[in-house]
Amino acid sequence: MFARPSRRRSSLTLVASSVGAARVGGGERNGNRARDWSGLMARAQDGDRRAYRALLEDMAPYLRVLAARCFKAPGDVEDAVQDVLLTVHAVRHTYDPGRPFGPWLVAIANRRIIDRLRRQMRDRSREIELTAEHETFSPHPANLRFDETSADEVALHAAIEHLPPDQRQAIRLLKLKEMSLKEAALASGRSVSALKVATHRAIKSLRKILREPSDTP
Amino acid sequence: MTRTPELIDILVECATPVRRLRPPLVRAGLWLAFAGLILALVAIGHGVRTDLAARLHEPTFAASIAAALATGILAAMAAFAISLPDRSRWWLLLPLPALAVWIATIGYGCFVDWVSIGPDGIRLGEELPCLALLVLTGVPLAIALAAMLRHAALLRGGAVAMMGGLAVAAITATALSLVHDHDASVMILVWNLGTAALITGAGCLFGRRIFRWP
Repeated sequence: MFARPSRRRSSLTLVASSVGAARVGGGERNGNRARDWSGLMARAQDGDRRAYRALLEDMAPYLRVLAARCFKAPGDVEDAVQDVLLTVHAVRHTYDPGRPFGPWLVAIANRRIIDRLRRQMRDRSREIELTAEHETFSPHPANLRFDETSADEVALHAAIEHLPPDQRQAIRLLKLKEMSLKEAALASGRSVSALKVATHRAIKSLRKILREPSDTP
Repeated sequence: MTRTPELIDILVECATPVRRLRPPLVRAGLWLAFAGLILALVAIGHGVRTDLAARLHEPTFAASIAAALATGILAAMAAFAISLPDRSRWWLLLPLPALAVWIATIGYGCFVDWVSIGPDGIRLGEELPCLALLVLTGVPLAIALAAMLRHAALLRGGAVAMMGGLAVAAITATALSLVHDHDASVMILVWNLGTAALITGAGCLFGRRIFRWP
């Protein structure tokens, strides 16, 4: 049920203890930083916004490193970092400046990262990620929109062929070739009003022709 | 999705001064003092059981009441300690020895008697006043503890709720042992830990939606 923060904590000696880290060889800079974090948080608790900003901006890269151990996608890593920052903000009153800052932060980070991992596992167990193949070969109508062998399209073309010649011409020019009324009038040599009437009648006829098969069970 | 630098800007904007929590054992002491007050009020209001002096000479009864009290105190200390992120999880083991002694000494009591099925159908058992007393003692303690430990929901919600439930259960059982003739420990344990489990479960399911927990 619980994670084991101790292993992770040991690998984060640079913030594990303000006193201890300073003693470790080569850890002077880190020790200073740890002391800074503790002090910055103490000032942030008193309402010092500049200290709080410095602390959060300083913490974010460390949290990113922690999160990157558990998540591959950069988006997930960033989400986890933001989760931790939000929690740190919500529980900042629980930090005791007399104690080291590292264990406090790492415990919160572990908790949030584990929660996010669990959520991700739950989501993955319910969802199947679509691949390019799924999208290409899925028999969804949207994928077949441009397929010329589509049953509806064949039926529509057949119905248009059955129309009287003047109606067929009007439909072809105005609907299939998407000409304007003026262009169609020029192309066909017919008046605009004749084309309008022909189109109206053609659509009425097409509706009748296409409805007929479905009306007869 | 907000970018991290933007989130930091927002958090800095909201950074009002906060009051630091007192050390966990001090806070546990405050809650135990409140529990003592409730115990005293119950004893005054209801009156101490008539045979208390005689019963306290019985080793089993004395051990039971001492173990329940110890469980309550230790569970409260553990709950306040583990509600902080940087405290060890080993605190969870603190009340276990006292709890083992308490469980070893308790009888069935009200657990089997609070509702009895007789020739007249189901009727409320003789222990209904005990139930009312239990609610009167347990509810204020539980509310006070929940208010004091609410920040733990983001960290170790389940463990803190169970420890808190155990603390309330043990203190309530102690109160009832002092003022009531029957032993209701099992019922109190089941009720309190059951309620703690229920609240934890509800928190897991709906907490994120209702309280906007991250």
